[in-house]
Amino acid sequence: MRRSLFLIIGLCPLPLAAFAGDPGLNGRWRLEAAQSSKLDGWTGVDLVIAADGPKVVLRYDMSWRQTKVSAVNRVDTWHPVSISNFFRIDQRHMAVYAQSGQPARVQAEWIDGGRTLRVEAEVTVEVSQGNQVMRLYDEFRLLEGGGELELIELHSTRNRPLVYFFARVADASPTTP
Amino acid sequence: MKALLTAIFVALLPAAGLRAAPAAPVRAACVMHFDGDWRVAGGLPEKAMLIGLQGLANRGAPRFYIVQAPSYQWEITGPLCDFYRSAYGVAFTEVASADQALSLFGRYVRGYVVWDRNAPTSLNVAFTIAGLEDALVVDDELIPLAERHGLRRIEDLRGRYTGKTDAQITSDARDRYWARCNHDSIILMGGQSGPIRVPGMADWGVQGRMFFENLSADPGHPDELALERRFMADLNPNGTIFGWHPYGKDTEEEHTTLLSTYGLKMEGLQSLPNLSFNSQFTFTPGFRFTNNHTIARDAHPVAGRKAYLSFIQSDGVGLGVWTKPGRGRIPLAWGAIMSWVKYSPAALEYFHESATPKDYFIGGLSGPAYMYPNHIPAARFGPLMHEARDLMAVLDERIFEIMDNSAADGNVGNADLTKETVDRYYREFPDVIGFVNGYGPARTRDLRDGRPMISYDYYVDPGRPREEVAADLDELIALNPIRPYFCLVHVRETNDVNSLIEAIGSLHGPVEVVPLDRFMRLAAGAKTYVTRYQHPDDPKHFTAFDATPKKAP
Repeated sequence: MRRSLFLIIGLCPLPLAAFAGDPGLNGRWRLEAAQSSKLDGWTGVDLVIAADGPKVVLRYDMSWRQTKVSAVNRVDTWHPVSISNFFRIDQRHMAVYAQSGQPARVQAEWIDGGRTLRVEAEVTVEVSQGNQVMRLYDEFRLLEGGGELELIELHSTRNRPLVYFFARVADASPTTP
Repeated sequence: MKALLTAIFVALLPAAGLRAAPAAPVRAACVMHFDGDWRVAGGLPEKAMLIGLQGLANRGAPRFYIVQAPSYQWEITGPLCDFYRSAYGVAFTEVASADQALSLFGRYVRGYVVWDRNAPTSLNVAFTIAGLEDALVVDDELIPLAERHGLRRIEDLRGRYTGKTDAQITSDARDRYWARCNHDSIILMGGQSGPIRVPGMADWGVQGRMFFENLSADPGHPDELALERRFMADLNPNGTIFGWHPYGKDTEEEHTTLLSTYGLKMEGLQSLPNLSFNSQFTFTPGFRFTNNHTIARDAHPVAGRKAYLSFIQSDGVGLGVWTKPGRGRIPLAWGAIMSWVKYSPAALEYFHESATPKDYFIGGLSGPAYMYPNHIPAARFGPLMHEARDLMAVLDERIFEIMDNSAADGNVGNADLTKETVDRYYREFPDVIGFVNGYGPARTRDLRDGRPMISYDYYVDPGRPREEVAADLDELIALNPIRPYFCLVHVRETNDVNSLIEAIGSLHGPVEVVPLDRFMRLAAGAKTYVTRYQHPDDPKHFTAFDATPKKAP
């Protein structure tokens, strides 16, 4: 598969951006709560993106009150991966719990000329009736000007999208929200 | 707003069948209306003086009642005043000023104690002294008023605590006064700190000669925590902490966890007014609670292929939703404050009489008062729950609510019960038809002897847009595909019922909102939920206290 892909890259004059993310996505982004879907529970969200070719590290630095949670999803735009502790920004007032013992199958892809990272995951969650699989569809979009990031999240179980806006954090800012 | 509340109350009277004529002989009392200014540099000093005076005046008889501003956290003071008039025959005389209040009640006061605005914690010391010495609590500006009424200075705290920490001030006060104070209860005069303080419960503490403090239970404040432990260890068994934790220093979870390890009860909030008055009434002659049960306790209804929702408001029935528009449009269960059988019978009777057929009362919270059961010492669990059972019997309640946020952080996080705790509840409450657990969502669930224990699957944040509430509920229904699905929803006290009804109306698929007792009986017959208890590996957000108190109470 990878060999074929290299062959295609070699033969076709496709822009490199089709296979790599815009470097403008890298860095620390902070949730702009007022513009975003209402988030219950969490009061601080930082998203740190580090893309190196097909390898993309998505780190979430989350906080509410005295609680700080840091979680990392490592995705690969060339291969599906299995992530044992897949993290999603959850609504804390719903009895829907992450299941660390159930790896999530995760696919990622650069689209829109590398300005959008698409991540699809099948995540097992614990609810009242036991474990259920939730299919997630995320797009991390670099917005015009490069100073804002939009995360659109769809759930196979939810009839409304969740839309979060983030602002780029200057290097001097603290590392946790 | 005041007009609106009055209109609501008046509208409720005929519907609820409230008596128009007094049921008891006329009794005289005074009433004073407060404004909403609780600034230390504004209205607090005079209010503190009057509330302390209220505690002294109400020793022996209910003489002095205070109606708070419409913006006050406890919205029932006005309607309850009217209820005293209509149901108890109380003839209230309006008190227009502090000067007039002192003229009326000065005979219950022996002198005055001066607190120091520059050391606000000295107000707690002054309240303690007020109870012990029958003293009026004044700041320096109110001294001339006290002296005009012939009062002499008993103690002057100005300067005594300058530059001292809360731990130092409270330790000094403990050395001076604690031995003479009531050891069945204490006043935790927490709540707001800084420029605003709301010591609404001070009348109760002064009347009962209780010790006032605002110590932190945060392990990051070791001096205060150690001192708080000493007070809790000194309290008599079955003791009560009245008031509320200090917002600026620790969390509700920390303080409630701590007192629970001593088997003590929490009666909040520190802003709760008029207990010195309310506690002196019994129920009106012939009154008996009859809850709005909708199903026989041994009924076996068959659940349909749908999602069943049931709603509960547990934050204290006197807070918020009760007086807001929309109550009565959907079945709603209310966590009545059971201990008000002892402390505020008229308030409970008022709620009962103004309840609509869709209002249903349940027992709790966790015991005869607010506590965290995972931390109650085994030896204290039985006696505490015996007290709770007795209160539930008076209130005709069949469902018991439990909350343990000792491992949570605020309204979210781990709110689950250990299997040992669940075992204890099933053992101690053989007559309930079901248990509710949580505040925010939780995942403790069980079914024994046809009696379910169900945790909240959803918590309605008052600030959450209703279209998102609907999407959240639709998602929970989608994530729980087996029918019937039983979804218990906690409604925070500041929610608006009408907007909640709109959200429910937009849900997709077969959904039915049912009264809580029916919900429990349906859930007893169709166990589509998974039995689960708190697991040692579940994330915990607070674990700082030992499970065992330093000194066994």
